[in-house]
Amino acid sequence: MAHDKFRAEILTPEGEVFSDEVEMISTRTTAGSIGVLAHHAPILAMLEPTELRLYKTESEVVRYAQAEGYMQVAENRALLLVEEAHSPNELGGLNLRERLNQAERELESAGEDTERRRVAERDKRRLEVFLGISEG
Amino acid sequence: MAQSQRDVRNRINAVKNIQKITRAMEMVAAARLRRAEQRIEALRPYASAIRRMTRQAAEAAGNVPQLPILVEHENVRSVGLLLVAGDRGLAGAFNSNIVRAGVAAGRQHDGEGHAPIYFASGRRPASSLTFRGVEPAESFTGFTDRPAYADARRIAERLMAAYVDEEVDRVEIFYNGYISPLSQVVRRETLLPLQQATILEEERDEGESESSDHPEHRALVEYEPDPEEILGRLVPDYVEISIFRALLESTASEHGARMTAMRNASDNAGELITDLTLEMNRARQAEITQEIMEVVAGAEGLSG
Repeated sequence: MAHDKFRAEILTPEGEVFSDEVEMISTRTTAGSIGVLAHHAPILAMLEPTELRLYKTESEVVRYAQAEGYMQVAENRALLLVEEAHSPNELGGLNLRERLNQAERELESAGEDTERRRVAERDKRRLEVFLGISEG
Repeated sequence: MAQSQRDVRNRINAVKNIQKITRAMEMVAAARLRRAEQRIEALRPYASAIRRMTRQAAEAAGNVPQLPILVEHENVRSVGLLLVAGDRGLAGAFNSNIVRAGVAAGRQHDGEGHAPIYFASGRRPASSLTFRGVEPAESFTGFTDRPAYADARRIAERLMAAYVDEEVDRVEIFYNGYISPLSQVVRRETLLPLQQATILEEERDEGESESSDHPEHRALVEYEPDPEEILGRLVPDYVEISIFRALLESTASEHGARMTAMRNASDNAGELITDLTLEMNRARQAEITQEIMEVVAGAEGLSG
């Protein structure tokens, strides 16, 4: 069955990644996975690293490895601001494994309850998600 | 005589080869400059969208929470100085201007009793600092040709952590601001503490009246998590975006400076080739004259 379509835009600091009509957006907020359909109530949400899926139709799905960001839905438009959005086939060139090892070393050397530690934890989580997508 | 003619010809060939290289470098820099300019443009919509969201969340929260990076440290013991320049040279005064400005500021801070702690982005400032005997606390290298947002985030996170963990009590950034391909200017800005005014400053030219004209819409917006928590992450984004913009402008400036430097080098090579060609022609003419004189003298000796 066909759903109503709505406009979805993905912006990163390096430019616009996606701008098209979609039936559904599937991503992850701090509260957990979320699927956004047309006519969704206005929301401002914080996004966590995950696999972002944009359903142009039920079978045509565009996927991205998404870093932290924000999603704003208003007036039947969705705007996703994410720090990084990579298509799965370009993840191989990002030295994810090496960067994950580095983040883990950083985590070990950082003191308890420091900002450095929180940064390393965030890096580790993001890189693990990206690795999962590139290997999955 | 034949010796000097060959010497000059060799020198002409050497200069011509150099000119070919500088011409090629000029063209590469011009192409990269265009790309770097486009990337500065590409950041703009993201930055203003972040700004709009921040304003919306701040209005919903009633105020901006007192995050650690917004709080000024009362006692300034040390100042972090982030010097942003390039990985490579051959770009005129691009790298040295930054190092000079940064080290001068560091001395001034030292005189006022604030210990300077250097951070370097780019191999050139890192090695110049080491050469001057001030080891940077951390160097970020390998991306100045094409900085990614992840690079800016890495630097921002390091500096914010240093600020929050009280390793530094203030952070300043030095970079080449991009004005035009021919003109770059050294900019010095305070990154931390972040000013509330920076966050909530209005952007008049964006034409975004539609959201601010309907306060009743905002009441219905659902926040996930609550606006205060969203602000807790939006606000540090400003530091990341500021650094990213500085990296992008610095990259554009680097290519602009290299393009200009290489154009000057090509022009100088051209002048040198003209001079040397003249010199070679003179040497050849002198040689011919000499030979004629010898022939004439010989003929006169025979007939006399």
